[in-house]
Amino acid sequence: MAIIGSYALLLALALSAYSFLAGLYALTDNGRTARWLGESARRAGIAVFATVLLAAVVMVLAAFNDDFSIAYIFHHSNRDLPGPYKFATLWSGQEGSLLFWSLLLAAYGFVLRLRHKTDVRLFAYASVIIAAVQVFFLLLVTFPAHPFAVMQGALPADGNGLNPLLQYAEMVIHPPMLYLGYVGFTVPFAFALAALIMRYPGEKWIHITRHWTMVTWGLLTCGIALGAHWAYSVLGWGGYWGWDPVENASLLPWLTGTAFLHSVMMQEKRGMLKIWNMWLIFGTFLLSILGTFLTRSGVVSSVHAFAQSSIGDWFVVFLALISAVCLYFFWRNKSHLQSEHKLESMVSRESSFLFNNLLFLVACFAVLWGTLFPILSEWVQGHKITVGPPFFNRVMVPICLLLLFLTAVGPLLSWGKTSLDSLKRNFLWPTVASLVLGAVLVITPPSWGSPFGMRPWLDVSYFYSLMAVLLSALVAFTIISEFVRGGRVIRGKTGQSLLYSMAVLAHRNTRRYGGYIVHFGVIVMVIGFAGYAFNQDKEMEMGFGDQMTLGPYTLVCQSYTQEDKPNYGSEWAIINVMKGGRQIDTLFPERRFYKSSEQLATRPVIHSTLQGDLYLVYEGINQDTGRPIIKAHLNPLVPWIWMGIWIIIAGTIFALIPNTTPLRATAPARSKAEVVPAGVAD
Amino acid sequence: MTNTLALLTCLLVTAAVLYYVFALPGELYLGPKKTRLAYLRERKDVVYENLRDLNFEFKAGKFSDSDYQEMKAALENEAAAILAEIARLEETAIAGPASSERKGTRA
Repeated sequence: MAIIGSYALLLALALSAYSFLAGLYALTDNGRTARWLGESARRAGIAVFATVLLAAVVMVLAAFNDDFSIAYIFHHSNRDLPGPYKFATLWSGQEGSLLFWSLLLAAYGFVLRLRHKTDVRLFAYASVIIAAVQVFFLLLVTFPAHPFAVMQGALPADGNGLNPLLQYAEMVIHPPMLYLGYVGFTVPFAFALAALIMRYPGEKWIHITRHWTMVTWGLLTCGIALGAHWAYSVLGWGGYWGWDPVENASLLPWLTGTAFLHSVMMQEKRGMLKIWNMWLIFGTFLLSILGTFLTRSGVVSSVHAFAQSSIGDWFVVFLALISAVCLYFFWRNKSHLQSEHKLESMVSRESSFLFNNLLFLVACFAVLWGTLFPILSEWVQGHKITVGPPFFNRVMVPICLLLLFLTAVGPLLSWGKTSLDSLKRNFLWPTVASLVLGAVLVITPPSWGSPFGMRPWLDVSYFYSLMAVLLSALVAFTIISEFVRGGRVIRGKTGQSLLYSMAVLAHRNTRRYGGYIVHFGVIVMVIGFAGYAFNQDKEMEMGFGDQMTLGPYTLVCQSYTQEDKPNYGSEWAIINVMKGGRQIDTLFPERRFYKSSEQLATRPVIHSTLQGDLYLVYEGINQDTGRPIIKAHLNPLVPWIWMGIWIIIAGTIFALIPNTTPLRATAPARSKAEVVPAGVAD
Repeated sequence: MTNTLALLTCLLVTAAVLYYVFALPGELYLGPKKTRLAYLRERKDVVYENLRDLNFEFKAGKFSDSDYQEMKAALENEAAAILAEIARLEETAIAGPASSERKGTRA
């Protein structure tokens, strides 16, 4: 098995190197040989996918066959590991996950090279760039992080097993999603760099990569959300985001990628921000690589990070090389990136996109600074200064609120400039409605539960929560206004119902209205985040019949016991959840001891309602009394975060559906063009 | 799995890959080259789409009449400039080969 896997990777490396070199030569020459080399380079790129896939299949088969002659399988699997987790062995360790990275990149390259007829020359350039990135990752898995290294000496009877924290259903899909997002940004990066190198006329490369970018962004969003949900459901600290360096590493390319998705519309529609967009996508790709470096080099300490290894140096060299290539071609061809229009007014859709981008970049810089500060402080002062959640929350919350404000304002502004009269038309009723809602939230009693009864003067966190809900409402009202106004126009023409007309409207411009659905998902998430200010928790030792009260809930310990299973042993309690004197649920908080890895892991349990989560953690047993210690968290509005994610996914999928009505020319432009003398555009 | 079987598999994979990469068809698809004219046609479509959006948003009551007229005029001017350049380039493209033919004949 190991021989086939190792050979497949070597062959893939040789094919990638050929694809890069032959493709590069073909781009510099127009002769028959060059054309032949170009086509064989494209085919070599396709064959890379087949060979890396073979290596990955060998790895998965080795895991299912408990082939502990392969060191990676010994370290990350064991005989009693359930099937889905054996499959997940492929990405659960350093070497395997790099192989998985290579496989995903090869898969993206495979699809891209099959679609080369869209624009042969542009795709040829992009293919060469992807081949170069592929060479780097295949070098990693062939030399410093080889996944098929064999065990020395006698074969072990069983493996060390998968990290207990990873033995959770979501962990089978979280890393693939995240990697699909990380790796996927290679495609728009390759097209952007290709367009810059060949001085590609126009913005068609953006049109070609639009779907790639949206899919990639959607997958990265899913990956980050699954990671947050995993942290919430498994780690047992009651939170979903701890500003951990590895969490931050995934957020960095997401922030710049989101900025790019917005600002690229300015380039498509108005031919503006070409330099900005080029660097945004370069930056997004570089941040994806930086994130991979942070996770794998061991430079940051994190619950998610892989072990310390020597591959960090490889990443530093690769990052430096890519940056140098980007800088060189930008310096050489920057004249190609001249804007076709200038910013006419500060009150326009262009300026709202620009401010939105600036805020995303400030957020990205803040997260990057907070993540790298411990490393930088160690270099400068000799000791690590840790930057914790208070720093990130203090910086990021105001930025997010400003972004929410722009999310509300942007769609209602027009391209070019917006007059005061138009502003009044668009903002009056959404603003009034949000203020009325804000007043209701402040004057209602706290006993109504979150988000009612907010008292912003008591604490700054309450003030932020109120602002988040208010601005979310403003965004919601502007989105509703967009749908209703557009729907009315269609209804006027077709005579159909308003709801049907709004559906027709959305299908006529899926990207725009899909975007609004995504914005709606974002505000639902933000309302979920706003509940954080009202979190409560309590810890108590609970014997038979003991009670604990938290918020509207009373918890009664019915029993506690132990159990032994092939893969792990566990201790758990049976807790009845009472509300208003009535039993509404029974929860089983649990702690497991995994035998092969000899590690403990908690299994928190959650009673979820629209108002919030009751979150129970089995902390352990008091050795003196033999009774379990239960920690209970009351986390208001958290389910809104997961609902928001689903809406964001739905919106992204909707935005990918083709429009129903094709473009058509408008008469005024044609008639006016006829009277313009030839040469006016010279 | 024996080492011989593994080696045989590796050989088979190599042969299949080499055949796929180097046994190319006689005709290679090269595709059209992107010209300034093609770029202008794309740009024209974008400006028309912007005009269509603007008309729709005006009908939806998002802009005052003066804002609408001003934005429409700007977009129409942009479209006119693009159409004029397209017309000029198309004219040159048609006239170019004919004139060179005439020159050739004369030579």
